[in-house]
Amino acid sequence: MNDNDEHMPPAMQQVDWASPQMKARLNRRYWMDRLFRGLGLSAVAAATLFLIVLLGNIIQTGVSGFFQTSIEIDVSFDASILPDPALPRSEFSQAVAQVNMQRILRQALLEKFPDVKARGDVVRLTRLLSSGARSQLRSLVVRSPNIVGTTIPVQLLASDEVDQAVKGNIDVSLPEENRKLKNKEVGWLSLLQSENRVSLNFHPRFITSGDSREPELVGVWGAVVGSALTLLVTLLTAFPIGLAAAIYLEEFAPRNRLTTIIEININNLAAVPSIVFGLLGLAFFLGAVGMARSAPLVGGLTLALLSLPTIIISARAAITAVPQSIRDAARGLGASPMQVAFHHVVPQAMPGILTGTIIGMSRALGESAPLLMIGMVAFIVDVPTGIDDPATVLPVQIFLWADSPERAFIEKTSAAIMVLLFFLISMNGIAIWLRQKFERNW
Amino acid sequence: MNAVVEPLMATESKPKMSIRDVHVRYGDVHAVKGINLDLYSDKVTALIGPSGCGKSTLLRCLNRMNDTISDCEVRGQIYLDGKDVYASDIDVVQLRARVGMVFQKPNPFPKSIYDNVAYGPRIHGLATDRDALDEIVEASLEKAGLWHEVKDRLDHLGTALSGGQQQRLCIARAIAVNPEVILMDEPCSSLDPIATAKVEALIDELSGRYAIVIVTHSMQQAARVSQKTVFFHLGEMIEYGDTTQIFTAPQQEQTRDYITGRIG
Repeated sequence: MNDNDEHMPPAMQQVDWASPQMKARLNRRYWMDRLFRGLGLSAVAAATLFLIVLLGNIIQTGVSGFFQTSIEIDVSFDASILPDPALPRSEFSQAVAQVNMQRILRQALLEKFPDVKARGDVVRLTRLLSSGARSQLRSLVVRSPNIVGTTIPVQLLASDEVDQAVKGNIDVSLPEENRKLKNKEVGWLSLLQSENRVSLNFHPRFITSGDSREPELVGVWGAVVGSALTLLVTLLTAFPIGLAAAIYLEEFAPRNRLTTIIEININNLAAVPSIVFGLLGLAFFLGAVGMARSAPLVGGLTLALLSLPTIIISARAAITAVPQSIRDAARGLGASPMQVAFHHVVPQAMPGILTGTIIGMSRALGESAPLLMIGMVAFIVDVPTGIDDPATVLPVQIFLWADSPERAFIEKTSAAIMVLLFFLISMNGIAIWLRQKFERNW
Repeated sequence: MNAVVEPLMATESKPKMSIRDVHVRYGDVHAVKGINLDLYSDKVTALIGPSGCGKSTLLRCLNRMNDTISDCEVRGQIYLDGKDVYASDIDVVQLRARVGMVFQKPNPFPKSIYDNVAYGPRIHGLATDRDALDEIVEASLEKAGLWHEVKDRLDHLGTALSGGQQQRLCIARAIAVNPEVILMDEPCSSLDPIATAKVEALIDELSGRYAIVIVTHSMQQAARVSQKTVFFHLGEMIEYGDTTQIFTAPQQEQTRDYITGRIG
């Protein structure tokens, strides 16, 4: 106790830290502490659970989309139907292209099941195999002409219904009229299975080919290339424009009513629904400028409009975060405003700018609504080769497949979502890597 | 055309910078009120006074660092070798190369020690080749008394040095462009006593070669490093004179009160 105590208000002089009231206060504080920690922990747990359920569900349905059923059939490459393998190579392949492979297939199947006679049954029998089996045979003959005249076992793609039955996605115990795969086909299939002629293999075609009407023939490569080209256009337009706008607004623009209005509008643009940008792209790029529809060029420019506000806002935030003392130091040495910006401010802000850009790009990669407006929803089989080829992108491809009636498209949809997630995670990985690289440099 | 600026004191040599009737306003705040002052190339001038008295504001006018503050308004004339630095034909970039600045908080660039010192010579094209640049960097670090501490790690980050070393690096960076005037805005306020002593010794070393203007809150520092002292109060210049005279025989009561610690 010192002399000052007598000048203190009474409440401050008589603090009894051991009193029951104090203990109660303390307990209440501890309790609130525990409560808050518990809430936080359960929030994290709930979020993790949702993520696991979501990813687990997608992976569970999607993994089988990368696999496809093949049926081994003994095919006799009838020399009377097929061209002479002694022909020059180019002539031979041309001749093979004219051959009715369906006939060879039908013969092979009828040899396997000699008691199938009725016309309807024969049609059903050939439907065990995919319509892609014909081109499989054709490329096999072109690749090795010496098989003409022989009979060899060939692995042929099964149709989507057979594939689904093999994967156990079709319940064959249902009444026959409720399923597409009829009892006869189930019988043939089980006979083939008992002879170990049915196998489920990894299906590289799903990665390497474009879209198709047949679920067993579809691939994501067309959409992957379309997405890559579209994002390239988006990056090359949105990043320089966004960066320049952010640098100008932060470092050079005078603070007046006009710049304030521009700032407010940029912030508002970030909240505009994406389909509105699609309408803008439709009206401007397709309507006014007259660019080719469905092309990555138009899609990329439309997505650039969409990601510009995100890039500008994050780049501005990163630039503002650069300490004023660095600008002062450079200006004090006689650096021009331009030199201050490009020698010091932008390099320091780069990690933040890149993060914002990648976030914008990720959003653009996952966007489908604005692209529907500019015609990128078309059914496109060919893999695009340039930014003005018709193309589609991964999210739109997922949307298209999810909309298809065939049972087999369910797993293809999930598999395509896995591919999309893979690219999103890769992009975020690149973002983290770039960040660390730039941060280590200074 | 250089204006003929009459020195304030007839006995002194020709001033390097002359401040004539300078007023500075930030919006409604009248921060600096009609200052007249001469700065000499061979002398250290200390600006002292309580916080908010306008001494830092005045310092920042000398190389026009206040230009980017939008509501800052400067009236009056500031001459560098008889030329008004606020004249329309003055290039502010060249002005700041001639009038360098050291800040309150050490602010090295987040680059290597070498690049910190080499930055000024690079942007002004002072070195024609790598060897010349190396020489400038070595000479500047030598003058700043830092060369022997950092010569083996010039590629290390300037920001990784200790506070005192950082501040001396900033001084080396400022003298690398060979300025005529060096402005120091409380250069030791964030340093410990040992680092402060080193910086003060450095200022001593540099005085005579450059016109040095130093803003400080420490009376002892002003007394130790300066030859001229100016005392400000509420934006007005109360007293200006030789440092010894100000600290031993102040003419004004306010000055006496401040240096003896009764106000401030």
